[in-house]
Amino acid sequence: MSQGIQQRPQTQRQALPQHAVERIQRSRNAQGQRFFTSDLSVKEFLLVRESGFECAGLVLGSSFYHVGYQRSDWSQNQEMTVLTQAMYQARELAMARMEEEAHELGSDGVIGVRLHVNRHSWGEDLIEFVAVGTAVYARDGSNWRAPNGMPFTSDLSGQDFWMLLKSGYRPVSLVMGNCVYHVAHQSLRGWFKSVGQNQEMPNFTQALYDARELAMERLQYEAQLDGASGVVGTQIHESSHGWDAHVIEFFAIGTSVLPIAMKEAPPAPVLVMTVNE
Amino acid sequence: MSAAAEIHPFTSDLTIDELLLLEDVGFEPLELVLGASYFHIGYPSAPYSQNQELVEMSQVMLLARQTAMAEIQNQAHALGADGVVGMRIEIEREGHHAEFSAMGTAVRRRAGDGAKFRDRHGRAFTCDLSGADFWGLVRGGFRPVALVHGVCVYHVAHQGLGAWFKTAQKNCEMPAFSQGLYDARELALSRVQLDAASAGATGGIVGVEVREGHYGWHSHVLEFVAVGSAVSPIEDTTHELHAEARAVLSMRDD
Repeated sequence: MSQGIQQRPQTQRQALPQHAVERIQRSRNAQGQRFFTSDLSVKEFLLVRESGFECAGLVLGSSFYHVGYQRSDWSQNQEMTVLTQAMYQARELAMARMEEEAHELGSDGVIGVRLHVNRHSWGEDLIEFVAVGTAVYARDGSNWRAPNGMPFTSDLSGQDFWMLLKSGYRPVSLVMGNCVYHVAHQSLRGWFKSVGQNQEMPNFTQALYDARELAMERLQYEAQLDGASGVVGTQIHESSHGWDAHVIEFFAIGTSVLPIAMKEAPPAPVLVMTVNE
Repeated sequence: MSAAAEIHPFTSDLTIDELLLLEDVGFEPLELVLGASYFHIGYPSAPYSQNQELVEMSQVMLLARQTAMAEIQNQAHALGADGVVGMRIEIEREGHHAEFSAMGTAVRRRAGDGAKFRDRHGRAFTCDLSGADFWGLVRGGFRPVALVHGVCVYHVAHQGLGAWFKTAQKNCEMPAFSQGLYDARELALSRVQLDAASAGATGGIVGVEVREGHYGWHSHVLEFVAVGSAVSPIEDTTHELHAEARAVLSMRDD
């Protein structure tokens, strides 16, 4: 098991910047009435309301991170643990701040979370991570928070959220796993052997396969730690983030879910033929 | 539809399904409305090692947008429109000058009861919603009030040489940068909330987007703009709502 490299940090509670605290306070007026901001589209907004939830407000978190240096061995397949940890830590920090905002808003969870990676021209090793989503709360006051008492998080759209609840599951947490991997360069002899021929490159295959598996394994591990029963909507992204071409980050992200007691059977879908393109 | 008898020519950038959906909630398009403003926005400067907002720049960038939008309001008023849908603002910069242009389709309620869709000063509503979104919103029991903006132009501090030595080759967060950018986004968001409140919206803001831009400024000066459509609930109890959502499987491959 190689998942030990990155334990999910005991999500430290994050302090919010002053303007965030002010904004969150102002999302209720003097009479205690809520006024929301949300990055949901109108359709998502309607479906969230249909699911019995109301928008609480847009929440965001950001972390500007300096990524350390690690030398890679030219002819070696290996994980770049320093980079893996940096990319993970920074995302986790941005997420934790976003969760804290959702908590301050008194919401039950965050949907539609998106993680952006920004680069500014201020330095080569500097990367900014931003997490944005819309905090929601149940209209009937029921508790939907994750087992750890913090708001649930999920990258599901409003449509997916509605479908998920209808089919008897609830989101628990946004889970992720990553792996930055250095893929060995091919030796000159290897190049001579394969030139002009059809053949698999076992070295490359194995490296990329391994890196993806590592990222997935960590994602799975995180979901298990959060007490979820499965993960939906997993995506694996691949990016070099401007590093050397042989250094690639595999980033797996998905929403972990738990079944809920259903009062009625999930609705059967209706077949439709849309006329618009 | 009895309204079909009364057809007058109109221009709009709506697609056909948008047009149908607008008609379905009782609105007709009137004309494509345009507004523009031309501003000198210069090159801001700020203390090298300080995180701070460039208040004057924030104000100019907001004023320029508001000027373009005010022109749209004037045209909508002259047309007798009750609102503007699909509004968007584009910025084109040349040297020290920037042109802000706003565009949208003015619409009017067919039944003549458009007053209840206007804002509390009797002005036309504005929003960046498409025809389909507008339909969904109105059938969902809400009405758009105004396209609202929150602007913050921010200077992010440069890092000192000492700090650079400390972080070299290490994994660590850069708290000064984090705070600066985080703060700037929060300021833009709290202003968009204030803008919506002063426009008289009581529901909330949908479709908020925080955009980041810099217009040829120094790389440590960034503009954050939060844009969204502020909405209010429709209080009329006779208002027709949409049917309950159902799961459908589209027969198209996509």
